[in-house]
Amino acid sequence: MRILRIGLRQLQRDWRGGELGVLLGALIVAVAMVSGISSFTSQLQANLEQESHRFLAADLVLRSPRDVPPEWLEEAASRDLSVARTLSFPSMLAAGENLRLASVKAVSSSYPLRGDLIVSEQPFGLSFVADSGPEPGAIWLDSRFFPLLDVAIGDTVEIGDVVLEVTAAVRSEPDRASNFSSYGPRAMLHVDDIARSGVVQPGSRVDYRFLFAGTPDVVAEYSSWLEARIEPSHRLLDVASGEPRVAQSLERAESFLLLAGSLGVVLAGVAIALAARRFSERHFDHVAILKSLGATSPQISLLYFTSLLALGLVATMCGWLLGWVIQQTFLSIFADYLPDLADGAGARPLIISGLTGLMCLLCFAWPPLRRLGGVSPLRVLRRDLPQEHARGIGDFLIGLAAISLLMLWYSGDAALTIAVLVGILTALITVGGLALLMLRGGREAGMRAGSIWRLALSGLQRRGRENAVQIVIFSLAIMLLLVLLLVRTSLVEEWQVQLPEGTPNHFMVNIAPGDERPIGQLLDKNDVPREPLYPMVRGRITHIGEDQLADRQPANDSVMDWELNMTWAEELPPGNKITAGDWWQSNPEHPRVSIESEAARGLNIQLGEFITFRIGALDLVAEVTSLRELDWESMQPNFYVIFEPGALDGYPSTYMTSFYLSADQKLFLNDLIRAHPTVTVIEMDVVIDQIKSIIDQVTRAIELVLVIIMIAGSLVLAAGVQSSLDLRLQEGAIVRTLGGSRRLILGSLVIEFVALGVMAGILATVGAEFAVYFLQTEVLDMEYRLHPALWFLGPLGGALLIGGVGVASCRKVVDSPPALILREI
Amino acid sequence: MPDTELEILKGIDLEIKAGETVAIVGASGSGKSTLLGLLAGLDEPSEGEVWIDDAELGALSEDQRAQLRGDRVGFVFQSFQLLPSLTALENVMLPAELAGADDAASQAQRFLGRVGLSERLDHYPRQLSGGEQQRVAIARAFASSPDLLFADEPTGNLDTATGAHVIDLLFELNVETGTTLVLVTHEHRLAERCDRILKLDAGRLVT
Repeated sequence: MRILRIGLRQLQRDWRGGELGVLLGALIVAVAMVSGISSFTSQLQANLEQESHRFLAADLVLRSPRDVPPEWLEEAASRDLSVARTLSFPSMLAAGENLRLASVKAVSSSYPLRGDLIVSEQPFGLSFVADSGPEPGAIWLDSRFFPLLDVAIGDTVEIGDVVLEVTAAVRSEPDRASNFSSYGPRAMLHVDDIARSGVVQPGSRVDYRFLFAGTPDVVAEYSSWLEARIEPSHRLLDVASGEPRVAQSLERAESFLLLAGSLGVVLAGVAIALAARRFSERHFDHVAILKSLGATSPQISLLYFTSLLALGLVATMCGWLLGWVIQQTFLSIFADYLPDLADGAGARPLIISGLTGLMCLLCFAWPPLRRLGGVSPLRVLRRDLPQEHARGIGDFLIGLAAISLLMLWYSGDAALTIAVLVGILTALITVGGLALLMLRGGREAGMRAGSIWRLALSGLQRRGRENAVQIVIFSLAIMLLLVLLLVRTSLVEEWQVQLPEGTPNHFMVNIAPGDERPIGQLLDKNDVPREPLYPMVRGRITHIGEDQLADRQPANDSVMDWELNMTWAEELPPGNKITAGDWWQSNPEHPRVSIESEAARGLNIQLGEFITFRIGALDLVAEVTSLRELDWESMQPNFYVIFEPGALDGYPSTYMTSFYLSADQKLFLNDLIRAHPTVTVIEMDVVIDQIKSIIDQVTRAIELVLVIIMIAGSLVLAAGVQSSLDLRLQEGAIVRTLGGSRRLILGSLVIEFVALGVMAGILATVGAEFAVYFLQTEVLDMEYRLHPALWFLGPLGGALLIGGVGVASCRKVVDSPPALILREI
Repeated sequence: MPDTELEILKGIDLEIKAGETVAIVGASGSGKSTLLGLLAGLDEPSEGEVWIDDAELGALSEDQRAQLRGDRVGFVFQSFQLLPSLTALENVMLPAELAGADDAASQAQRFLGRVGLSERLDHYPRQLSGGEQQRVAIARAFASSPDLLFADEPTGNLDTATGAHVIDLLFELNVETGTTLVLVTHEHRLAERCDRILKLDAGRLVT
């Protein structure tokens, strides 16, 4: 107890003397960053998952070309799962003289199980969330349908043998985007009206979907129960297969945040270690006195350990508070996107960050303090006694192990952790060696220069080893900052490039041969930006070589089983990249085809194999001569299968394209569909807008994290400068007692720090380029290019930052009487 | 200096009796402080033995020596060596607190009163003059009722008048408590107040 009191008194005093600022600050930053980021990302994850369910309108979906045995649904109900049914099929709607093809969806009363069904009381009117789908006897129509059929709310339309009353306009449904057969304007009715209508006959092409929702483990159990019973024509869709298009952006953002968070903790750890080391050095004399008065090593250890714990407690509290602020800021940035999750992520982030703080204390701060127990009491007689630093290789290893564990824990990604660690280690070794070389070169230059320079550069050289260590630390900090800055910039740029203004947000398919020219002209006349018109043939694969398709198909892969959209092309379409083989080259003996590489891998298709396609009633055999990668995010028409020109001549084909419509051009669709009733338009604009707004939000979140990391980086710089402060103060004071002018000392300090900064900046730039190259090509899966601006920014930033912080910290040398300084140290 | 061994003290054979006052004098670098450090158990000899009563210091661990210092040894240093974070009273209480004594405060107050600092109990070292700081150090040294008191140039950082006053106090308290006193100094006036003077020259005793 007494020891604790002495410890607390000492802490109080150290706090007042400004000794603890960096240590406490770095601890707080570490705890705050981890608690803020981890609580935010856990909410983001939860939301992503929910979002995925929303896109399915359920937790699990069974898709089938016909009805399924009723026992399956009874089984689900008996397991306390909610169940809903939908049937989708194209059918004609009639209103008086008007006949239109509709994409009909019949839903049971419990639809949707997840996500929102949005409707409005008038076409294009104010939209709101509907509790459930239409009642029996009612029909809801897409807003665009009203002018096409020339009906209003309250009118009736016929479908097959039933007459239904139009009661609302259906604006959006959660699972529409994932269902590519949902062509054309939507008509939604109750599933009970289907039987009476007689539009669904045996053999009709209907997409039956059975939706299930419940607690995750029950859903999982039921899913495996179903899996054992389903037939080949059935498909089970879960969260993974229903992933929204925004998921990739958000996942990247999340891994960026986690990466930034771990790097931030690395920075904070370095700052803590530096500050603790200085703290320890400044307490050698204290300990010697205590020991001369009879304190034993265990007592000393206890004294400093309890002090450290007290410090950790304060830092953790402050860190949690700051972390809460960070999390709230994140949540307010994402308010549109995370509406119902604002009530905290539970205790986990607090525990994670608390443990992080504790780990920082034990692994970064405690090793230097632990050595205080071994300080010789003889120091009370001889202050010049060498400070027994066991040169910290053990400390370094402990710190490294701690950093690795923390990173592994946050990211859950061993490859990323090892990559970053290897990067940091390589940088440390290379930079350390280069720093020593640079210092040597600087010394030689200095000998030929004036006295300020000589003083400065000989100072650099004299403390060569300490300075090399400092340069390594500074450049590590600057490097991490640059890396994050670069990655952020290219992430944001890439997202913006991916979805620039005017990205096609509508697809048009089923354009009949002969219609493609007038439709192209109609789009151009109305100033609608569009992609080229691609011919499209629908067919399916029956054989690969001698094998049936089913023999090659992995159990859960559905892509090739359905009808494929195939095209032919003279030139490789934009966004496609050949990964094996050649685009059409020599004269062929057989028709040739190019396959998307993921699909080829899934079906184990090799170059030179022959694939049999069934198109309509005809078979076509073609040789695989190339494999292609596609950019699925590009919103351009993409094809798994592309034939060489001429190969598909004589097969029934249609055309497709994609185009961009701004919100106020939306009614143009009505003219288009009225003029060409057979075409099908797929609207992607809502999804694209959603992606764009999320990108904006993610960008802002990343910027916020960057600011926090900057703070951690500055703490490292401050700790680094402070670690050599005593020595510099002492030397400065001696030079002044020998008659050195203020200007001489200040000038030499400026030069010394700026030189350190420039060296650190250059090394940091080199390191950052390497690290970014690796991160972008290996981890974030992005294109890499050099950053010329960095080569200017790095050294300049280093000079300004370290020069500024250094001179500010050392002003004491020139501003207070030398005697005072010499006595204090 | 890996290969050449520097011999600071050589052939010292010395016995100090309980209650004796001894001055160690010698030129700068003659090994005075080293000898003091060895006698007080702050340092270990590379060769030879140091005994306090029936304890051989070399046979004790550093922590056992610390305990022995806490129980039986007091120090007064040239540069006072007060803890800046503690008040005068707390500094004086420190040895007793480290030893786990209960009456630390009253004992400390008594000794601070004895050195004339009753009014300054709650002052921090930096609020005290050099002479006052050294008096606090003397109070601290005696507060743990040591059998042995080591003083290393106790007046080295003080002006003559203050130094004389501090020395008077030191000897008064020494007489009152019957403590054995070992004093390192280069002031002859001070050395002459002791029962015995040991002169060191280049690490050897010249008596």
